[in-house]
Amino acid sequence: MARINDVGGMQGFGALDTSDDTEPFHADWEARVFALNSALVREGVYNLDEFRDAVETMEPSAYLAASYYERWFHAIRTLLDRKGVVAMAELDD
Amino acid sequence: MTDRFRPGARVRTARHDPPHHTRLPRYARGKHGVVVEPEGRHPLADVRSQGRDDAPVEQVYAVRFAARELWGEGDHHVVLDLWESYLENPEDGTS
Repeated sequence: MARINDVGGMQGFGALDTSDDTEPFHADWEARVFALNSALVREGVYNLDEFRDAVETMEPSAYLAASYYERWFHAIRTLLDRKGVVAMAELDD
Repeated sequence: MTDRFRPGARVRTARHDPPHHTRLPRYARGKHGVVVEPEGRHPLADVRSQGRDDAPVEQVYAVRFAARELWGEGDHHVVLDLWESYLENPEDGTS
């Protein structure tokens, strides 16, 4: 099952942006998402490979429309729900 | 467990298309390459991504591919880090 993330070698995405962007985060929420994921992996709630799997199984059109850290946040929500830490309905409140 | 492949060994990548995370990209499936060197042992991501704690710890190899083998054109090479499970001996006969 080829997934939406697996686009290596595909045509039509345009040139890669290789400009030197030294800012790790472009909004505070991005840094929080980064820290939250690090904490959840460190605490053993899920592992990094499960996290990558959760990013890759986003609905393709949502994946393509999302920013890098929006994909991370989606994966965190998916895994917290799957692991029974919190329910998706609680997160949406 | 000893390493199955030595530097310089010719290998063919698996053709698998699993329903879970894998670190063998689609463009590099069923392709011939040459082992550069072992990179160290790590739990197989394909198994670990399923939340299982029984992932085999395998050697990961740097494997060099000609762009022409991957995409049918280009004069450069691409080196990928690939788990031993992704690699077959092309002399084994099965395809």
